[in-house]
Amino acid sequence: MAKIRKVISRFVGGIQCGLGVISSVFAFLVYANPSIRESIAIASEQEVYLYMFLFLVFSVFSILSGLLLTREEK
Amino acid sequence: MGQARLKRELGLLHATMMGIGGAICAGVFVTLGYAATLAGTALIIAMVLCGIINLFTMLSYAELGAAIPSAGGEYTFAKASFGGFFSFATGWFEWISNMFYASFSAVGFAYLVSYAVQVANLPITINLPIIAAITVAIFTMINIRGAKETGRTETLLVIILLALLGVFVFWGLFSGQGTGSLELSAPGGFFGVIRATSFIFVVYLGGEAIAVAQAEIKNPGKTIPRAILISCLTLIIIYTTIAYVVFKIVPPADLAGKESPLAYVAEQFMGPLGVGIITVAGSIAALSSVNTSIMAQSRVAYALARDGYFPKSFFVLHKRFYTPYIAILIGSIFVAAVAATGVVNFVTYATDFGFIIGFVFVNFSLIKLRRDKPSLYRPFKVPLYPLTPILGIGTSLLLIFFLEPSTLFMGAELFLFGLIAYYIRMVRHDRICLAVGGMNLGISAYSALLAYLVISGSLPISLPQNMISLLFGAAIIVSVTYLTAGILSITQKAGE
Repeated sequence: MAKIRKVISRFVGGIQCGLGVISSVFAFLVYANPSIRESIAIASEQEVYLYMFLFLVFSVFSILSGLLLTREEK
Repeated sequence: MGQARLKRELGLLHATMMGIGGAICAGVFVTLGYAATLAGTALIIAMVLCGIINLFTMLSYAELGAAIPSAGGEYTFAKASFGGFFSFATGWFEWISNMFYASFSAVGFAYLVSYAVQVANLPITINLPIIAAITVAIFTMINIRGAKETGRTETLLVIILLALLGVFVFWGLFSGQGTGSLELSAPGGFFGVIRATSFIFVVYLGGEAIAVAQAEIKNPGKTIPRAILISCLTLIIIYTTIAYVVFKIVPPADLAGKESPLAYVAEQFMGPLGVGIITVAGSIAALSSVNTSIMAQSRVAYALARDGYFPKSFFVLHKRFYTPYIAILIGSIFVAAVAATGVVNFVTYATDFGFIIGFVFVNFSLIKLRRDKPSLYRPFKVPLYPLTPILGIGTSLLLIFFLEPSTLFMGAELFLFGLIAYYIRMVRHDRICLAVGGMNLGISAYSALLAYLVISGSLPISLPQNMISLLFGAAIIVSVTYLTAGILSITQKAGE
């Protein structure tokens, strides 16, 4: 049971870390790529920073949660 | 243990040059144009005003640096006076700001190299991210090699920089050319001058690198206050005379919209040679800032690790060079990564906020320590106490008030990340798991709701069918992943 739990934890933790990285890449794209901004209807500079903030918070949280799961057994 | 092994190798010249080189960044070569449109020729007054505001806080650095000459600068002062989250936040902002400052300077250097290649019509294509990353790599190696090497490199760079700026100033002072006027004008009125002061204050930031490296300064009780005061006064003289020469040569309105206002002014009375001199000076200024910022970030990380806030590996010193090489390397990887993205605005905002918050914290630390530890040996004392640190706090807060909203927003983000980092280190593991598990379940529920809204067409946005399917699939994957992660995190204690 503990072994299955360990495998699931590592798998889910890995996905969370991956989602965190994708989210931070997206935060950068929101900043740097005008076409991405248009596609998600960002109008002002303030909104750019708001979206960056949300993506970065999600990214940090996902990576943290993922690391906690992958390092569970340690 | 590690603290005792940092070698005191930097003398008065090295320390002073670190203060001057840390402050004179590429920013001074580009910010002058916009500041001149705000303040007119009153920018000369704004330059002196900035210098005096900077001096209020630098006096606090001098007193605290001489009294507590351990690595870490303002973090160490805040630790000695307040401790807890307050000191961690000070160190956090200092660490992040120095890394962003190094990135900003590396990007600035890459831009100047690219500009020089264009002006010289050389058949080379400059890759900005690669140039920025190589710059960071070179100074990382110098920093790992030793504090003495870092100090020597900085001294050499700053002497060349001062010589080039000296040529600009003296040539300008004695030149008969120019259409400028030194008659006092302030197109934006009093608030224009204040806004210009707030805008150009960044050119004085970075001088506190002396305090960060204070564990490696010889005879700190005397050297630190002297180096800080000499560098502050030198900066005031340099910036004020530069502004004086600029307005002697061209009227303020001519500087509006100029990419490199200083190079433009130099061209008016020195011709193409002037452009060359200013471009080289800007490049050297950027390099010296990269050098001091990499050193400063590593010493702050080292001090944070010493007190258990950062992983212990940051506290490890190189066996041969006695430098915190892991802290230097990890910080430099971050610096190079940010520099390679070229996101200059983002980096500038973060740098400004962090440094100014650091100023506020240092003055508070000085007041607290004077009250709590009156018998602490202080080789140097701030004159006119408590007026000076109170003025330091007041003027720094005023500068924050005049910062762009984006800067404040960036500051809030950095604070939040700092808070997360602090709790990860200080709160018990099982409590973190419980909190993270709860947040995972919240994200899962939110994603499930989003999936339902997407598939039922209830969202007030019109998307093509394939995008709807993609969004629905992504929301379901996130929901299931975070539900599982939440359950695993909450039951982690039971599982163990």
